[in-house]
Order: sequence, then C-alpha cells, then structure tokens
Amino acid sequence: MNYSNKWLKGLVFGLITLMLIISVVSCAPKPAAEEPAAEEPAAEEPMAEKTSVTILIPDNPAEFHGYGAGTGFEEVISELVMLSVAEVDDQGNYFPELATEIPTVENGGVVMDEETWEVTVTWNLRQDIYWEDGEQVTADDVIFTWDAVQAAEIWSSSGDATESVVKIDDFTFQVNYYYPNPEYIIHFGGEDFPIFAEHYCDADQGYYEWNCTREPLSSGPYTLAEWVTDDHLTFVRNPNYYDAPKPYIDEIILRIVPDESVKRAIMDEGDADVHYWPAENNALVYQEEGNGTKWAVSPTERWIMKIFPNTKARGDTPGEETIPHPILADKSVRHALRMAIDVDTIINDIFLGFGEPVWSEFFRPPFEDSCGIPRPEYDPEGAAALLKEAGWEDTDGDGVNECHGCLNAEEGDLMTMEFMIYAEYGETLELAHQFIAEAWANIGVQTELSIVEGAVLWAQVEDGGIELAGNFDINMWDNGYAGVDPTAYLWDYYYYASDSEWNLANWTGEEAEAVAALVDELYTVDEEYRMEVFCDIALILEEELPAIELFSTLEMFGLSDRIQGVRPTAFDILTWNVADWTVEE
Amino acid sequence: MITNEKTFEQSGEINNIIRPPETMMSLAWKRFRRHPGAMVGAIVMIFMILTAVFAPLSPYDPVKSDIKNRFQAPSWEHPFGTDGLGRDLMTRTFYGGRVSMTVGIMVVAITLGIGIPVGTIAGYYGGWIDNILMRIIDATLALPALLFMILLAAILREADLPIVESNSKMTIALVLGVLSWPTVARLVRAVFLTLREMDYIQAAQALGASDLRIILRELLPNGFGPIIVQSTLGLGYAIMEESGLSFLGFGIMPPTPSWGNMLNNAQEHLIQYPWLAIFPGIMIFLTIISVNYIGDGLRDALDPYKVLAEIGE
Amino acid sequence: MGTYIVRRLLQAIPMLLIVSIVLFGLVNLAPGGPLSQFSRSRRMTAERAESLKRQFGLDKPVPVQYVVWLVGNDWMKVDTTGDGILDSHGTRKGILRGDFGFSYKTREPVLDEIGERLPNTLYLLGFMMLFTGLIAIPIGIISAVKQYSAFDITATTLSFMGQAIPDFWFGLILILVFYATLNNPFTGEALLPSGGMYTLGAEFSIWDRIKHLILPVTMGLVGWVAWYSRYLRSSMLEVINADYIRTARAKGQNERKVLYKHAFKNALIPVVTLFALDFPYMFTGYIYAELIFSWPGMGRLYYDAATSRNYPVLLGVLIIGAGIVIISNLLADIAYAYLDPRVRYE
Repeated sequence: MNYSNKWLKGLVFGLITLMLIISVVSCAPKPAAEEPAAEEPAAEEPMAEKTSVTILIPDNPAEFHGYGAGTGFEEVISELVMLSVAEVDDQGNYFPELATEIPTVENGGVVMDEETWEVTVTWNLRQDIYWEDGEQVTADDVIFTWDAVQAAEIWSSSGDATESVVKIDDFTFQVNYYYPNPEYIIHFGGEDFPIFAEHYCDADQGYYEWNCTREPLSSGPYTLAEWVTDDHLTFVRNPNYYDAPKPYIDEIILRIVPDESVKRAIMDEGDADVHYWPAENNALVYQEEGNGTKWAVSPTERWIMKIFPNTKARGDTPGEETIPHPILADKSVRHALRMAIDVDTIINDIFLGFGEPVWSEFFRPPFEDSCGIPRPEYDPEGAAALLKEAGWEDTDGDGVNECHGCLNAEEGDLMTMEFMIYAEYGETLELAHQFIAEAWANIGVQTELSIVEGAVLWAQVEDGGIELAGNFDINMWDNGYAGVDPTAYLWDYYYYASDSEWNLANWTGEEAEAVAALVDELYTVDEEYRMEVFCDIALILEEELPAIELFSTLEMFGLSDRIQGVRPTAFDILTWNVADWTVEE
Repeated sequence: MITNEKTFEQSGEINNIIRPPETMMSLAWKRFRRHPGAMVGAIVMIFMILTAVFAPLSPYDPVKSDIKNRFQAPSWEHPFGTDGLGRDLMTRTFYGGRVSMTVGIMVVAITLGIGIPVGTIAGYYGGWIDNILMRIIDATLALPALLFMILLAAILREADLPIVESNSKMTIALVLGVLSWPTVARLVRAVFLTLREMDYIQAAQALGASDLRIILRELLPNGFGPIIVQSTLGLGYAIMEESGLSFLGFGIMPPTPSWGNMLNNAQEHLIQYPWLAIFPGIMIFLTIISVNYIGDGLRDALDPYKVLAEIGE
Repeated sequence: MGTYIVRRLLQAIPMLLIVSIVLFGLVNLAPGGPLSQFSRSRRMTAERAESLKRQFGLDKPVPVQYVVWLVGNDWMKVDTTGDGILDSHGTRKGILRGDFGFSYKTREPVLDEIGERLPNTLYLLGFMMLFTGLIAIPIGIISAVKQYSAFDITATTLSFMGQAIPDFWFGLILILVFYATLNNPFTGEALLPSGGMYTLGAEFSIWDRIKHLILPVTMGLVGWVAWYSRYLRSSMLEVINADYIRTARAKGQNERKVLYKHAFKNALIPVVTLFALDFPYMFTGYIYAELIFSWPGMGRLYYDAATSRNYPVLLGVLIIGAGIVIISNLLADIAYAYLDPRVRYE
C-alpha cells in the first residue's frame, strides 16, 4: 500500500505547487494597456502627494463609445480620454471643445437657403490640440469618425438630416443638411460622440471591431493606463493635454463593484470618492451632514418613471391591424389607473423624496407649467367611480371587477392583468411596483406582478422581446429625453406609424394620427410655432394617456467631502468636466 | 452553498438485508429518539412548520403595505420590525416559511417523481434501457449545476408554459429539481440491482407475480431508508438554493414573501436596517440545521447494520 | 485500466455532443436576445438590427446556427451583405477547432475573455480548496478517531452550522464586520479590504494579496470545511470499523499506526474522489463571492453574460464547464480505482 502514500504526497505537493504558480502568475503586475508617459510633469514641479480619485461603478464598460453595448459607463470613460467638437454643460449651455466657437446664424456659421430649406453649418477647429502621440487633431479625424459611425449603420436624427460632411481645410469642415437639424450643435458631440484618431484606428476593421475603441488614443485630460476587466480601470494624466495645468487630479480610478451595500460601505470608509447612481436610501445618507459625504444630482429631470399601458391585445405587434386590449384600450380605464396612484407617497416614502411629480412630457424648461395642464388628482374613490362608469364593477364581492357593459371585454370577464417592471433598478422600484399594485387592487384591478431583466423587456421581437412583441399589459420603467428638444423622442414613442416600433402602447386611431401630423410640423426653425405645436401635442396626450407619467427619478451621485467641482449634466455623464475636478483634504 | 449534493451510496453501504417493515420502523424510531441532535432538530422543525401553518393568525397582512410604518425597528408591536413598505416582518417571515418550505417539498416531489421511476426502470430491467438511462443521468450530471440553474431560471420565468406561467413557486421548484433527480435515480437503481438477484425475488417472478407488484411490494420498501434520508437533505438544499437564486435575482416574485427574496431585499439596507436580513437569515439557518440533524438521525436510525446489531443478529 | 480510460473517453464524446445540443437549444430558446442590449437606445433601426444579425449569424435557423457554432462556416459560402447572394467564405471555425466566437458585449473572442478571468478564479478557489483540505482533514480524522468526544461533538455541531449558513449572507456580514466596523488599531484603516484582488496603485506585496484573500476565502471555506470534515469523518468511521482494520489491530499493531497508516489512507479514497468532483468549480467560479467581493472571475463573467444574453460567452462557459465536469468524473473514477485495490474495472 506504499504507493498510495506517495501518491498522496505527490497530490499535496502538486496542489501546493499549482497554487504557487497560479498566485505568482496572477500576482505578476499586469502589462499596462498603454505605458504611462515617461516625462511626468512631477519632474519639474515640486514633489507633491499624488492625488487620486476613485469612482465606483457596478458594471464593466464595454468600450470607449456608447453605440454598442449600453452599460451606461462607456460615455463616462470616453469623456476621460477623448474630446468632442462641442458639448453641453450642467446648465444646458453648449460650449465648444475641439471647435473654436459654436456656429450660429449670427456669427455666420449657420447659413440657411430660404428656398430649399437646406442648411450649411461650418465648424472651425482649434489648432492647439494634439493626440497623446503628438499628432495634431484635425478635421480629418472628425470626418473619419463620422464616416465610421455611418458605415456602422448607427441611426441618429442628425444622420437622417445630413447630406454630407465636407472637409474645407485641416481645421475647417462643413456640414450640409437637407433641412434644419435642431440637434446640429451636438451632432459631433454631446452624449456619445467622441472623436477618434484617424491615424491610430484601423478603419478597415469597422466601427465595432476597432481596437481603438478599447485602447483609444487620448486627446483629453487622461489616458488609459490599465484596464483589468471586471475589476478596475486606471487613468493617468495625459501629458499632452492642451489646457495645462489641468487636469488637477493625477489619477482617476474606476472600480467595478457590483454589490450596492458594499459600495456604500466603501464610501463610508472613505475609500472612494464617487458612488455612481446610488440607491435612494444610500443617497439619503450621503446627503446628510457629517458623514464625510455629500451628493450631486443631475440638473434636469431626464428620467421619468412611466407606466406603459398596452392598448392592443397581448401579442399584437405595433403597426398591425389589431384587436383592442380588452381592458386598457378604454382611455377611461387608463385615467382611472392614474387616479388611483398616490404619487406623493411613492416619491416621499419609497423614493425618499428623490423625485418630483410629473404628468406631462412637457414638464420642464423650455416648456412652462406643463403647457397649462393641471396636475391630476390622487382620488381612489373617483378612480373606482370612473371604472364603474366604464363598465367595470365588482358585483360578486371577490375583490376583482368584472365587465358589466364595458367597451372591449366580454360580459363578466375579470379585470386582471400582468404588471411588469425591470430588475436592474433595484429594490426601490420593486417596492413602488408592489405599492401601485396594491392601490389598484383596492379599486378592483387585479395585477400579477413580474420582474424581468432589461435584456428581455427591451429585446427585439424575434428574441422574444416583451415590449416590442406587444406581449404585456402594463409595464413600468423610466425613460425620457436628454436636453431641451423632445422632437426625436416624440417621433419614437408616440408616432403611430413610426417604424421604430417604440410606440409601446400600440396607440392608434384619430388622435394618434393627429399627434403624428403635429410631430411632422415640428421640423422647422420657427421656435415659437414649435412651442405651440408641442403644447397641442401635450393636450392630446393628456386626454389619451398612451403613457402615464408618474414622477422624475433623480440621477444621483454619492460624493466624498474632499472632491470638488463635480457637476453632473443632463446627460448623466459625470466626467464631462473631469479636468476641473480638484481634491481638498 | 458551493457544495453539491453528494450521493448516499458513497457514504453508506446499501442495505441488502430484508426485514419486515414493522420491526424496522419501530426499531428505527427507537434509535432516532436516542439521537439528541435529531430530536432537537425535529422539535425545531415542528416549531418552524407550526409558525408557517399558523401564519394567518397574525393580525397583519403579509402583502398589504403600511407605508407610514416602514423600516420600524423590532418592537412589541412588530417583534421582527417592518420592511420597506411597512409590512410586519414577523408575519412575512412566517408566510415566507410557507413558501420556502413549499418550494422545498415541491423540489423533493420532483426529485422523487423523476428519480424513483428512472432508477426503478434502470435497476429492475437493466440491459440497454439501463444503459440509456444511465447515459442520460451522466449527461445531466455533466451540466455545471449553478450555471445551468441560472440559465433555466432566466428562461422559465419568461416562458409561456402552461404549468409554470404565473406560478413562480413551480418555476423555481422546476429549476432546482431538474438537476437533483439523478442522485435518487442512482440510489434506487443501486438498491434494485442488488436485490434483483435475490432468491425471494426470483421466486416471486417464478410464481408469476407482475413486475409492478414486485417493484411496489418487494423492492421499493427496501430503498425506503436511503430515499427518506436523501429527501430530507434535499429539502434543506432546496431551501438554501432558493435563497441563493433569489440573491441573484431569479427567485420567487414579490410581493409573495420567501426567505430567499426577503434576504435579497434586505441586502440593500444591510447597514441601516440589519434586522431585515437577520430574521429570514436565522429562519433559513434553523431550518437547514434541523433538517440536516434529522437527516443524520434518520441515517443512523435506518442503517440496517445498526438495527440488526441492536436486535442481536 | 488503459482500455477502460479509452472507453470512458470515447463515451464522453457523444455525451458532450448531447449536452451541447441541449445547451444550445436552451440558450436560443431563452427569451431576450443578444441584440436587446442595444435596443433601448433609439439608435437601433430595423436595418441595423438586420445587419447585426447577419454579422452575428443570427439570421439563420437555430439548427444551422448550431452547426456553424460547432464546426464553423469557413468551409461554406455565406451572405454578408444581405442581398441573398452567397458572396464569401465564412470566418467562423467552430468550437471543435477552438473558436468559441466573440462576446457580443466587447467583441473580444470568448476564449480571450475566459482567459482573462480564469486565473483569478483559479487563484481564489485554489486557495479555498487548499485550506479546505488543510482544515477539514485533521478535523475529520480527530472527530472519527475520538468519536463522541467533546471535540467530535463540537466539530459536528459547528459543521452542521456551517452547512446551514447562506453563504452570500455570510459574505455580506463579513464585510460589515471586518471592513465597515473593525479597524486596524495601529493604522486606523479598515481591518480587511472590501474586495478586489489587491490594493489599486499600491506596490505589489504578498501581505496585501493575503489580506484581499481572507474574506472571500473564509466565505467559501465555511461551507466546504463543514462538508468535507463531516464526509471524512463518516468515511473514516466506516474504515475504522472495517474488517481489515480489526485484523490489523488483532495482529497487535500499534494503534496509532493502524489509524493513521491504514485507516486514514483508505478513508481518504472517497475524499479524493469528492475533491475531483468539486474540481469543476475551479473553472466555473464562485458567483456569490465574486459578486460580493468584486472579484473579477469566471462566475461574474457568466452571470453578466446570462443577464445580458451574451450567447457565445454563455455557451462557451457552459460547454467548457460540462467538459471539465466529465473529465473530473473520469479522473475521480480513475483515482478511485488506483487508490482502492478492491476496485477493478474491466
């Protein structure tokens, strides 16, 4: 039996050796994606303590632009390393980045042909901006990036309007539009249009295969030093940054921490400076004085929690000639559902005060006073009465309404539906979900709750995507438009004939056609007229309720007391002004 | 739990001694009573079952919110405190016990429902049927368990299947049960393989007894002990795994409480409102520990060698 | 023995094939598609969806997709432009030739993604297994040798408790206690780090690595040690009472020698088997610990892929995982046969 003794020793020895090898291999310093530049500025300046800021995010970003996968952090990292032509600040003002100034009609940068409505925009680029390898940033880079995006068939409203983008000289290019493009300023900037380096990226690979989207060349304040997938990304100063002595902070670290309570613990310990999108209960703690933390919030309430009622029978995809939903096709029912929801309690008690009631798409500037639409009342009795009027009443005492002369269902059918949310938001939305379901149950509307991943809720029809396939009754999630112009958003979500398929309520009929006609009117430069049209649309939407707006959910950020200058924008990209951040001990 | 289910066969020899069931049972009970852990476990378990059974006696509703009383610390009024919608946590914990234990029992039912027939057929008939069934079992065991459960949970909860639709208890039980039956199948097969060749079975066959009769009357009772032990332990695993899947977001749908989803919801509030996590955690802990002790006691009690030693054979 | 191994290996092939068909079918049956991660963005147009589908090969029927996934499509012509004309050879090689496709999220080859995370998982679980052995084996032996002693009762009780703690819950408690509450009395810093593999930006140090390992390893150890020590105890007890040990005793051999030489060695046989059966965890990772301790391992790779329906990654991990399970089972059987002279396979 001696052999087994040896065998065992061998096994133990082997295991220990394996351990050692593994630990040595995985302990060995990972090769940096790009070597930090050798000529650190510290060489000339007096030796100061290296400043470092840590940002906690839950998910590994996919790459340095937001056109592919949408974890929400692609733009955050691209802002650290790349500049755009023009951007929006936290006040909603446009400012040039690579450009010398914003072209306007006044300064001659925007010229409109009165006859054909064609518009030409001319951009001049700064001549003092260099890539980190020393090459100059030129109009070629802008056009190269634009061509790549076009080749990748990425849709944008600017893209639809664009006839051509033409290089005039190295630092000037001209954009020709078929018609006035309301988003022309952020056509090459804003949320997700970082300019890539033509000489560095391999155009033949196509936009999605670019290695430069994983290891981009920097024109911005920082450059990527290390990226350990699912663990962290380290950024160090770009020594070639044009706006010296910015950036003030030597090193930015994005640490990927999936668990919410762990992130909170890390912030409490002072081991991180930014907690991206904290849950409401944590935001409340960050907000309080004396915890070593503070918070920041996006200035405009972009994300509106909404209820999407399906007006067509389950399984009917948008655009087809279809059967009305037995319960929800009746707009009185939709109004009753809204009346039964106690929005104030949801905001104050469940969302801990982080939110404002919203009842129209046109609730924030430039629109005034939600186009004069009064706030709907919370009135459960009124809701029950309205349902009764619509032919839904509980006569057998089982707590669930039956159809008694209702519009679209069979006599005696039960008022029972599925009510769905998405999982990623977290517990707060789950509580609101249950709370609303209970309020509806009190007026005899029975709902069966379900929670699915966003990947399923918003998938393509062929993949069993629940919303696009029309396979739902009532869904609740947050969306909204960035910036100040909801035109494209309206076109997507309310245009009944749109092939974007995002008319989720499957809303059709005379009023839907009226809204579509009004949306078509919006493509003009007459701002006053547009405001009128917007408010006309608002009135129809209020009457019809193809979507029920509830409240704005805030884009929040937990911050450490020491970090200064963090000013979130309406686009939620915290890092847009990272070069201005400082640390105060 | 990272440990997977281990087979009973590995830890104890399968009995091949036939005794009249009455004597076996009473002796087993005697032995079981003498196992202190098992007795304590049984008492705790009975208590847990009672809390679940009498949960409706609570003055509070497990689902109805009381938003003004959210996140109350434990008090006389709410011994376990309240949750994010002001619901009494004790009531929810006891109702959660119903759900978690129901899921556990359903998993065991699925396990036995597939495992016993498959094991029986394989063990009794042998030959090519056995061969095919064993390959299926091997293939099932080749699936990385937790990964497969995650995939299945993700599919089943959106699938429009008649049984699982709108029944998250059934969904989760299917997910947990679909990989656990091979253990029981192998167990039953092993018992049958040894017994099949015994004289009295051969005699029964010679006398013209039907296969079904032999299986039900002569063979199955002999596999009873190990199956019972395996089922008890399986119940514990199912409750544990339900909570694990809930943590990953694939558990029972709210507002129905289960220990798993309560624990999962508590996670965001761990620092501020620790009681949210403590009570469901303790319930899971107590249930699993008593189930394991009971299983241990049963294993001892039903061990034929020890029983035989007892009666001096 | 040689023919036995060959036969088992040959049997593994059809088994893997069946498993791969089942997995591929299930994954494609799953609602929610890989394109869904793009579609919340309003930039998703029907044309682009079509083109992405073509690019990903998702426009074909599922059986065709399976064949392409398995054996590739570089031997046949495919339509890359969507005009219905087969214009060029495909580029996929198929998993049989080591091409697991590329991740929809990052567009990196699946094997690269796995390669990036596998060492981290091996590192964590390797230490977990090592310490499981170092702790569980002595506990199991002493418990068995001194059956019903105070030590045995304590160890048994603790191991029952260890098996009953939900591990993810335990992990969060560990962070609360050792990171958020307790501080190092000398430096005032948190006693142990909250997660990650090492302190970012710090110089490499062994102590730093160890500090980062303590909590995640502890989280997993509790369950494993509980299980292994109990298992070893019962297999040890069985051996102690076996005839040949009694014979050895009867022959007047030294008790210590009997126990530690004969009994332990034989009791270890099933434990080694068990170890081999748990080996696949080294590949599939420990999802709970990785999520809680922000550990960039295989478990999180899979979990992310499952929630975002990243098919190639999902399938890659599953099928390699299944392969490793099968090989481990085989190794377990071989080890069993090798260690236990009573077992002989034809």
